[in-house]
Amino acid sequence: MIRHDPLAVRVAAIEPLSATLKRLTLESADGGALPIGSAGAHVSLILEGGDRPFRNAYSLVSMPGERGCYELIVRRTAGSRGGSAFIHERLGEGSVIGATVPHNLFPIQRHARKHLLIGGGIGITPLLSYLPALRQGGERLELHQISARDEVPLFENLLAPHAAHDVHVHAGRGALDLSALLARQPLGTHVYVCGPAALMDHVEAAAAALGWPASRVHRENFGAAGGDPFTLRLARSGREIAVGPDQSMLDALEAAGVPVPSLCRGGACGECLTKVTGGVPEHRDHYLTDLEKAEGALVMPCVSRAKNDLLVLDL
Amino acid sequence: MNDQGIKSRPAYAPLARDPVGRTHLLVADSMAIPHAAFAPGTSLGDYDECWTVEGHSRAIPSAMPDARMHGFRSASHLLIALRRRLAMEYMGFRLYAIGTEAFLWDVAAAAEAAGMGKEEYALFHAGSGARRVLCVHCRTLNQGVTTNLVACGGCGAALFVRDHFSRRLNAYMGVQVDAEMPGERPDVEEIYR
Ligand code: FES
Repeated sequence: MIRHDPLAVRVAAIEPLSATLKRLTLESADGGALPIGSAGAHVSLILEGGDRPFRNAYSLVSMPGERGCYELIVRRTAGSRGGSAFIHERLGEGSVIGATVPHNLFPIQRHARKHLLIGGGIGITPLLSYLPALRQGGERLELHQISARDEVPLFENLLAPHAAHDVHVHAGRGALDLSALLARQPLGTHVYVCGPAALMDHVEAAAAALGWPASRVHRENFGAAGGDPFTLRLARSGREIAVGPDQSMLDALEAAGVPVPSLCRGGACGECLTKVTGGVPEHRDHYLTDLEKAEGALVMPCVSRAKNDLLVLDL
Repeated sequence: MNDQGIKSRPAYAPLARDPVGRTHLLVADSMAIPHAAFAPGTSLGDYDECWTVEGHSRAIPSAMPDARMHGFRSASHLLIALRRRLAMEYMGFRLYAIGTEAFLWDVAAAAEAAGMGKEEYALFHAGSGARRVLCVHCRTLNQGVTTNLVACGGCGAALFVRDHFSRRLNAYMGVQVDAEMPGERPDVEEIYR
């Protein structure tokens, strides 16, 4: 199990990029150097200021290897009562918050002959740190960003420092033929996709249908989508905890003061694995095997939910 | 005597066309492809193209064959054409090779150099079992070794042919036979045919 003391970081700058996006620059609260994050790395912010602590994972968009600051971009999700709303409404320049050291569950594949990057909306963030690293290494790449029509200029701005013939922004999913794109990639290509689950599923399925080995398709799983509210019961204490519609099980447990180890908070790393002793989980992770999912004795609380009103955990 | 203790000999399973691949090229270092090379219920007809080695000067050299079946003069010609082909291929391509171990691992090296992974190519051993043996003392490659002991063509050492195959060097390791017990040598037997 990997655990690190949270870092204390100070918000050095907040720059609004649009009505819903803000860029945060974080510096070490004691003025020292920060641990290095490689391209694709993320940190989890620990926000204690609300009525409950939030932990949200964000990709670093600063230059890989930067030690002076971390930059990240936060979208305020509609109807959010969680971390993104807290950041947008209550965080100010000078605030000191907690952050985990950078982890990387979405690293650049060093053996790839070509890197095909596909971003959807704010899923561009890990790819923004890929671009300088790949350019510096003289790697062959192609980037396609899919954006809502009204956000095209925004993403064009974010990509402006890297603009070239191999960087493209598309207005809407329909503007890019993903199958044709995947079909014309040379041998040895790896594809990386970050964005809404539907986009990532689509890329994964289209690549598989075209004969891409699964080991060449990489997805960054961020942000648990919500669902119907349900109740958690902790088997050991009998305690019950409500999980709201826009809250993950992990958020709810943490808010109730029940610590569960976590790393990716996106159903990929396996760190938050928890035993189920009653009820039926609705699995949304990419960690458990199909067999384990069918058995229903284990759950990844960072992304998964419950099929019925009650889920009993061995906690 | 052979080297039963060490098992890094590659294992080969009969070939079957990967149903998720889009283009399938089969290469062989002989025109005589045994039925055993294909999994039950499958055959040569399943592949889009088949390149073989005719081993005869009547084969017309071609850097970029376009017919479904094509014969090359030599394995070297085939490998040159294969490298050019792989440089132009797309994801979804699958490569299959049938032949001697030295040929198979030359094909594998070309595939890996083009960025292909283990899921994208398959190998089946057919034909001679003769080994390419690397003398670990002088790095000479001894071709076509069929016996358990061989005199190294480079340094003359009496080499024992181990079952240790290096995929990177595409050779079996040969070590001085009596390195530990001077003078103690097994009988020479022809075991790699
Ligand atoms: S925290 Fe990584 S799978 Fe849940």
